[in-house]
Amino acid sequence: MSRSTIEGESELVSPKRGDVGVYMPEKKTEAASNQVEVGLEQKGRSNHWEVRTQEQAYAYLPKSDPRNKNEVENRYGKRIDLVELTDNPVGRSLFINGNPEVGTNPDRNKQHGFFFTADNCIGCHACESACSEKNDNPPHLAFRSVGYVEGGTYPDHKRMNISMACNHCDDPVCLKGCPTRAYTKHAEYGAVLQDPETCFGCGYCTWVCPYNAPQLDPVQGRVSKCNMCVDRLEVGLKPACVSACVGNALDFGVIENTPENRQQCKTSIPGFPSPEITHPNIRFQQTKSLPEEMSRTDDMPVKYRKGSDGQYRPTIDKGNDKESDPKIGKNRYWNLSKLNSRENPLVMFTLLVQAALGTFIIPFSAALLGIDLFEEFMASNLFLPLVLLSIVMTSLGLFMSVTHLGKPFRFYRGFNNLRYSPMSREGFGLALFSTFLGLTALLLIPSNSWINTAISSLGLELGLDLDLDINLSSLTTNMLLERGVVITGIMAAISGLAGLYYMNQCYQIKARPFWNHWQTGTSFIGNSLSLGAVVSCMVMLLSTAGESLPSMRAVQAFGFIFTAGLVIEAIGLIGHNRTLSRSENEGGAAHYIQCTSFGKTYLLRNGLLAFNILAASGLLLAGFIEVSESPADQSIENEPFFLAAWASISLINLITAVIGRALFYNLVIPTTMPGAFFWKNKGFEQHARDIGLADNPATGVAPLAH
Amino acid sequence: MLFGRKKRKPIAIPVKKVNEWKYTTCNYCSTGCSIEIGLDEQQKIVTTRGHAGADVNRGKLCIKGILEHELFDSPGRGTEPLIRDKHFDKFEATSWDHALDSTAKQIKHIQQQYGRDAFAIVSSGQLLTEEFYTLGKLARGVIGTNNYDGNTTLCMASAVSGYKRSFGADGPPGCYDDFEHTHCLMAFGSNLPEQHPIIYWRLKEALEKRHFPLIVVDPRVTMLAQFADIHLPITPGTDCVLINAMMHVIINENLQDQGYIDAHTQGFDEVKALVQDYNPKQAQDVCGIDEDTIRNVARIYAKAPTAMSIWTMGINQSTHGSDGVANINNLNMVTGNIGKPGGTSLSITGQCNAMGTREWSSCSGLPGYRYLENEADRSEIAEFWGIDPEFFPKKRGLSQTDIFPAIETGEIKGLWIVATNPMTSMANTARIRKALEKLDFLVIQDVYQDVETNQYSHVYFPAAVWAEKEGVHTNTERRVNLISNVLPPYKNAKPDFWIFNQMAKRFDNGHMVHFPETPEGAFEEMKYLSKGRLTNGHPRHLDISGMSYAKLETAKGIQWPYREYEVGLKGSARLYSDGIFPTPNGKANLLPIRFYNNNEQPCREYPFWLNSGRVVEHFHTRTRTGKIGNCNKFSPTAYMEMNPDAAKTLGVEHQSYVRLTSRRGDAVVLVQLTQRVPRNMVFIPFHFHDCVNRLTLGLLDPHSRQPAFKQCTTRIEPICQSEAARINAERRAF
Repeated sequence: MSRSTIEGESELVSPKRGDVGVYMPEKKTEAASNQVEVGLEQKGRSNHWEVRTQEQAYAYLPKSDPRNKNEVENRYGKRIDLVELTDNPVGRSLFINGNPEVGTNPDRNKQHGFFFTADNCIGCHACESACSEKNDNPPHLAFRSVGYVEGGTYPDHKRMNISMACNHCDDPVCLKGCPTRAYTKHAEYGAVLQDPETCFGCGYCTWVCPYNAPQLDPVQGRVSKCNMCVDRLEVGLKPACVSACVGNALDFGVIENTPENRQQCKTSIPGFPSPEITHPNIRFQQTKSLPEEMSRTDDMPVKYRKGSDGQYRPTIDKGNDKESDPKIGKNRYWNLSKLNSRENPLVMFTLLVQAALGTFIIPFSAALLGIDLFEEFMASNLFLPLVLLSIVMTSLGLFMSVTHLGKPFRFYRGFNNLRYSPMSREGFGLALFSTFLGLTALLLIPSNSWINTAISSLGLELGLDLDLDINLSSLTTNMLLERGVVITGIMAAISGLAGLYYMNQCYQIKARPFWNHWQTGTSFIGNSLSLGAVVSCMVMLLSTAGESLPSMRAVQAFGFIFTAGLVIEAIGLIGHNRTLSRSENEGGAAHYIQCTSFGKTYLLRNGLLAFNILAASGLLLAGFIEVSESPADQSIENEPFFLAAWASISLINLITAVIGRALFYNLVIPTTMPGAFFWKNKGFEQHARDIGLADNPATGVAPLAH
Repeated sequence: MLFGRKKRKPIAIPVKKVNEWKYTTCNYCSTGCSIEIGLDEQQKIVTTRGHAGADVNRGKLCIKGILEHELFDSPGRGTEPLIRDKHFDKFEATSWDHALDSTAKQIKHIQQQYGRDAFAIVSSGQLLTEEFYTLGKLARGVIGTNNYDGNTTLCMASAVSGYKRSFGADGPPGCYDDFEHTHCLMAFGSNLPEQHPIIYWRLKEALEKRHFPLIVVDPRVTMLAQFADIHLPITPGTDCVLINAMMHVIINENLQDQGYIDAHTQGFDEVKALVQDYNPKQAQDVCGIDEDTIRNVARIYAKAPTAMSIWTMGINQSTHGSDGVANINNLNMVTGNIGKPGGTSLSITGQCNAMGTREWSSCSGLPGYRYLENEADRSEIAEFWGIDPEFFPKKRGLSQTDIFPAIETGEIKGLWIVATNPMTSMANTARIRKALEKLDFLVIQDVYQDVETNQYSHVYFPAAVWAEKEGVHTNTERRVNLISNVLPPYKNAKPDFWIFNQMAKRFDNGHMVHFPETPEGAFEEMKYLSKGRLTNGHPRHLDISGMSYAKLETAKGIQWPYREYEVGLKGSARLYSDGIFPTPNGKANLLPIRFYNNNEQPCREYPFWLNSGRVVEHFHTRTRTGKIGNCNKFSPTAYMEMNPDAAKTLGVEHQSYVRLTSRRGDAVVLVQLTQRVPRNMVFIPFHFHDCVNRLTLGLLDPHSRQPAFKQCTTRIEPICQSEAARINAERRAF
């Protein structure tokens, strides 16, 4: 009865040999003859899955409804028959596990989707366990999860369970976001499939997906997700989860087809994120009236309220009264320890890279603009160390971002999706930034007198007769070299700015409204300016020891840029607060947590920023008076005071920036699906880790370290 | 491929490489789902699937069944027999011979010193029927103790007792197919979606084909209650009042089926007289359901062409459990709904083979629904087994819930516990702990060596589980189904059947009584004993003589009665369709059920009702499901449903810990605020060790001796959160 020879068949016909995998009938018979015994149910069906003896009607996909023939497009105007959108031949194998056989499902080139009758789900976990069993998933991973929303007052209480997996969207944000191109949307069934072997575990797809479909496995360090059971689909069976459903809630078929016995075919139910984000291929029936307000049992401070149009929208769950609050309450806390999280590498990555960008671009562009002070600096011996420092910081930042990957050794795959992924472009921009800076540094070497001295003294020490007739410094006069420095510097600045732009774009995610705001941009620019100004100022001040650059003027100039950076960041924060404190969605909820759970920390950061702006402005003013009153090229009496004051402010700013960025990463609430009390409840996961329950793998909470 | 992709990424989907599918029946609840276990070429279990051709589940399985094949090599399994002198000593691994010899010696010693009944045996609803039959033979015919019972006392004893009182014998008269025919279904204290998902699916399928009123009686808003047409959020323990009030309406409005009552029942006048005291006007104050609703429901039920009632622990686990069952039977007899397609009483059984133990284990009497109290039954069995009829006691001994108090009083000195975990499952853990500590000798026979009760044992027998053995189960609808032996027992564990046979050899009577070597041999004995006629002259209902293992596998289960001359593979879907009952005169008994309230009631000191029940991902005391991560993760630790409004007044927060106290003890649980429960009630799943049963009272039903797990009271107190977290983590060894 066995049909477990799929692996063997892949040996018979290597998929690589075929011309883009076109169905080859003569090979098929060869494969079929290898079968042991074909059950009655298997007749006329391909060999991708063994159909059960006496299989029941509920498990089979319905025959295409002839009434729906004129449904050419789905409600978003997208073609349902997908093969026409590609140049693929119709009878083309999916090569599931290398199997060259073409599925016998007549609708295999049409977009399929789940149909969820929310009225019926009993939350029995049959779909989840059938999925986990079929896909051999460990307890801490699940391609399909059931959570719930509930409302009303006893006994008029309503719980609505929601079973959710991947929606194989028309606009797969995961596919577009993935820097490694691990995702493919196939014309077959419109399935969005992901290849864990390509994935390097950055988790970006888990950020952009509004439905929590991609699963980042902290143990294996890679993402995997729902594969639509395409092996079952190929033989005309519904996915395993659907076949397992005992509430008659889950169904599956060609999209926009309303299953038999169902009256509705809508795109949203309470708790489900806006379908506008990705045009998901899931349809719902939800006819039973629900209370106006539906709450979540997990620790997300989000609930859903019915609008005048009957649609439920997210709103912040602040609890019912001040004293006793089911979620958080209105008290402010520090929760500083929670800021130390697995996102630390990203905090460091973004801050280091932004500082590096500022470090180079600020003095370089100032020099280009013809400000004499900076022109002098650029011509000085210290410009090379500055460039090198910028390279080191960028590299360190990129290294930190690589350590955040589940599979760091696959880092080079990060540039594979320049076509769609802002993350690819960010990485590419920063890589180019480093490269061009490297070139700049190379071109700076000949003109650097320190290097020249070092080389010649090295030569002397080693007793080598270098016989260098032409001193490297003679090249200094070479206009070509100087122009080279300018050109590579400009290229570096452009790619760096592009990198910064796409870094910002990485966070403009609809599924993460807390980030999806221009404040992300102002924060990145502000930090680039403030941190970059400090680093480059320090390098420039070092020169006062060796070279004769006027330090106070430099401090004043950098101080101005520093202050500008702070002001830009502050403006962003004010705007962010304005938008989010009025927002009712997950962004507002995240901001609510920012103001409560992390309320004291948030206030501290804002206070420090305000203090810094005031102090920096004061120092600028005082410095201006001092500089204008004292004669040029003379040192200022109070210089040590000014330097000390600026150093303190810089240090405070560093702390402010780290707190701010940690808040940025830790507070974001995605527009994800409601969880259950234990499963998919971040609060419980954390608690289980804290008290040691998670040490037992059967708890289903994986350790975070990797 | 779309989005401009040309290069195809490989699609890898796990393949199970099944070489052979073997037929078996699920070993968890009593729905009786057919499962096929998939073995690869190395005969290793790689997957399971529901059997699509089986009438019970039609290919569907619940979460537990889908993942059941993962239990064979789960952590904590017993590998070797263990022995020690005192329960506080360390266990030592030993040979089977030594373990069995020592046990036999201890049993004989205790029996010689304190009398035969001083050694008690408590078994389960989890073994295979042949094993129950063999254990019964061992307990009744060889060891000869009258203190022998099963843990079915905790779940189905009230149904058994109620059936016996109403119909003269145990055995649910209905079946799942009744959903397809009924015109009204009333569920009393039964939460099918959580407890019996596949039965729920059968009901849902029927409802989607043809809607009929679904009435759910449950103090909690379960999913079934939420989906019901009418939900009756009853005051705990007052179902009899509701039913009496319904019958008041039915009889006084002349809606009863007088023809059926006259032809097939006796006692109508007494019931009619009694229900006059249960005017809905007064009843509403007791049962919490308003009088209009009571009248409405009564009329719907009585006027439906056929109507059926199902119930589970909401009825059974109460001080009126047996009365509740008898009263549900009254309701159905008064409306003429017994033995008709869609008209029936149908207890939804808990354990996979609770029915098997009721039928064949001799726990409450002798095999095949025979009674110790009946001389003819005693001689028949004694003759068949080849022993002196006088060896049998003439009256049933103690039930499980009376055995533990008898340990307290010193009446019982030794105990053999088979496949049950009273340290977690019985009410008032502190009392059970004390009793177990007091035993001179305790043998634990279990699949898992980390089963909590094992901490007090002197000898531990590692038992094989499920498809490591061969035999049959009987499900809720009397369907006998086959468990094939798919793989050998784990390490040095042995099938319970083997253990009982080996133990028998160590007793004098064991050499006189025949113990077949194979389960099929025992099945043949059962078949023989199932033939014949009842004392009232009618053929026995519990007749399995037409069955064989081969037939069971082909038919995917056969419902009894299935007599030896039967043609085809279809058993009997229903009992009593002919209106003849196994009572002396063939008439069913209408029993007047008077309500009295002896439950602990919420008071100022203990203001909350404490309710307990099941969750879908766990089975019983989690010895199996607690170790299967994909089950356990949905509730890896104990929690309590509490009403948010009540929480607000006490300052209790969602996802925080509280300490509960009752007149018995305390427990620490994580709070889940939900409007599912009323303000004056909390609900805690019973699966977790050292949790709800530290609090429960478990007052016993006078007829069935089943404890009232669901009706006692508690108080909620604050607790230091870090301390509570530590306690919680410590109490979850698995």
